Amino acid sequence: MTRLRKEQTVGLLMVLPALLLLTVFFLYPLGNSFWMSFHKWPLFGKPKWVGLDNYIYMFQDERFWESLKFTFVYTLTVTPMLFIVALGTALLCNSKAWGTTFFRSIYFLPVVMSFATASYVWLWLYSEMYGVIIFALEFFGFGGEKKNLNVWKTGTSSMWAVNAMVTWKFSGIQMIILIAGLQAIRDDFYEASKLMGASLWQTIWHVTLPLLRPSIALALILSIAGSIQAYEQFVIMTRGGPSNSTKTLVMHTVDMGFDYFKLGPAAALGVIIMIILFVLTVVQLRLFRKNY
Amino acid sequence: MKRYSSNWYWFYVINYSLVIIIIFPIYWTFISSIKQPSELNGNPTFYPKTITLEYYDRIWNFDRQERLEDTDAKDLDTYLRGTGIKRPFINSAIVSIGTILVTIVVCTLAAYSLSILKTPLKNFIFMLMILPILIPGISLIIPLYKLMRELNLVDTHFGLVFLHSTAMLPLGIFMMRNAFMSIPSTLREVAMLEGSSELKIIFNVMLPLAVPGLLTVAVFAMYVSWNDYIYAFLFINKPENTMLNLALKQLAISDNQFGLKWGDLTAGSVVSFIPIIIFYGFLQKYFVRGVTGSAVKE
Repeated sequence: MTRLRKEQTVGLLMVLPALLLLTVFFLYPLGNSFWMSFHKWPLFGKPKWVGLDNYIYMFQDERFWESLKFTFVYTLTVTPMLFIVALGTALLCNSKAWGTTFFRSIYFLPVVMSFATASYVWLWLYSEMYGVIIFALEFFGFGGEKKNLNVWKTGTSSMWAVNAMVTWKFSGIQMIILIAGLQAIRDDFYEASKLMGASLWQTIWHVTLPLLRPSIALALILSIAGSIQAYEQFVIMTRGGPSNSTKTLVMHTVDMGFDYFKLGPAAALGVIIMIILFVLTVVQLRLFRKNY
Repeated sequence: MKRYSSNWYWFYVINYSLVIIIIFPIYWTFISSIKQPSELNGNPTFYPKTITLEYYDRIWNFDRQERLEDTDAKDLDTYLRGTGIKRPFINSAIVSIGTILVTIVVCTLAAYSLSILKTPLKNFIFMLMILPILIPGISLIIPLYKLMRELNLVDTHFGLVFLHSTAMLPLGIFMMRNAFMSIPSTLREVAMLEGSSELKIIFNVMLPLAVPGLLTVAVFAMYVSWNDYIYAFLFINKPENTMLNLALKQLAISDNQFGLKWGDLTAGSVVSFIPIIIFYGFLQKYFVRGVTGSAVKE
């Protein structure tokens, strides 16, 4: 009995630092974000309870809807790009051929570069004057006679430019997830489909992909959750421009809170982002359970 | 001989093409950073004709004080932007190392308690620890900012270390818990019969067997901390405390807002990539496990 008592005390003491960190830097701000979103925050003086006013203020703000729309458009375009590249490289690198380990480690390489650095690097590649991508595009006849191609000219072209960078940067993570899924598929399935005379594409479509569903779900939801949180790629590469057409939800939150000092509505925005992400993750867990 | 049938031919053609596409931006950045200014600001060339380390010298050793003296000191923009990256590099290194240490200590202790010991409420506590996966810190920036001000942690390395370590809790505890649970319990029982304390058991018996988990956690902590942008942006104001990722931005825009200094920027990007590529080179397996492990749940 005393030994159990002692072990319990030691156990609690050991978990205490982690609990402390979690409580101060996660649980408290989590609770506080709801509390803050229901209060008005004047620059001086005490916060005042205002009910749902902050949410109403936020929903009536056109910039919120614009950033929400842009975030969704970005998510819906970048997710298939990432997934197709990841699936392609995963299928390529799943064989036991010579060199696959090397190829995999190269495909994963951009993942380890910091996101900010990757954004700067691609900003240079897209540079209007001497950027190598612009040079190549103009070489192939884009941008017309005058050769004044500028990817940052419109919101749409800016988004695709950023999408290309994100695909380069992050498809490695999804590739690894999909490879893990591929390796869990037993060889008998492939042998059976071979015996039935299926072609490579038929095998991929009717055997590999259905069996890969849990990994696909994970990869997709991961990239969706990541895209909803998009921030630094757009802050660095487009600065939200041209004319706020590439402003994401998180950028809007930062603007609200730190440029306009509207802490209440900004906290409400945080809660909205939290709810979107939470729902997505729960959906992900659901998908997972169903498939196992 | 059958190995080199046409299928294999295409296998290698596609793979090597992809390798070139993936490597190219990195290669391009590197050669841009060592080209002479005249070559850099001209039509693209695929390898540098003459090599210069001018940009590296300038961005690393740039002295803000010197700059202040020969330009208008009242120009706050110049003051803020004209920072070399030596100091930010050291700041980022301090925060990354701090995060690794805090994460390892905190997560090892907690994971040991939540897996091996008979800690009360351990399943509930474990669920709490995993919760930050569902709610990323980015949605909490407003209350976090208020908290950092109240605790006087704005503009401190400690503040960032705490935030990064908190972000590491789910993966760190999850990984270490798995590592500990895969160790046979008899080892601990034998050590206990010899009268060792729990801390001694962790250090002498458990940790040596949990090295892969430990490395994964350490590498991922480095990754999280070195890559952080938004916390460093929101919670660091003073120029001397700037983190590397933000210093790169200041480097880039130091002349005027739209004319970026590409030589400086590419050199800065290479400097920021070097530590992480060294980690990746030596600990690739753990890197991949850490970065993807953050996604894989129970």
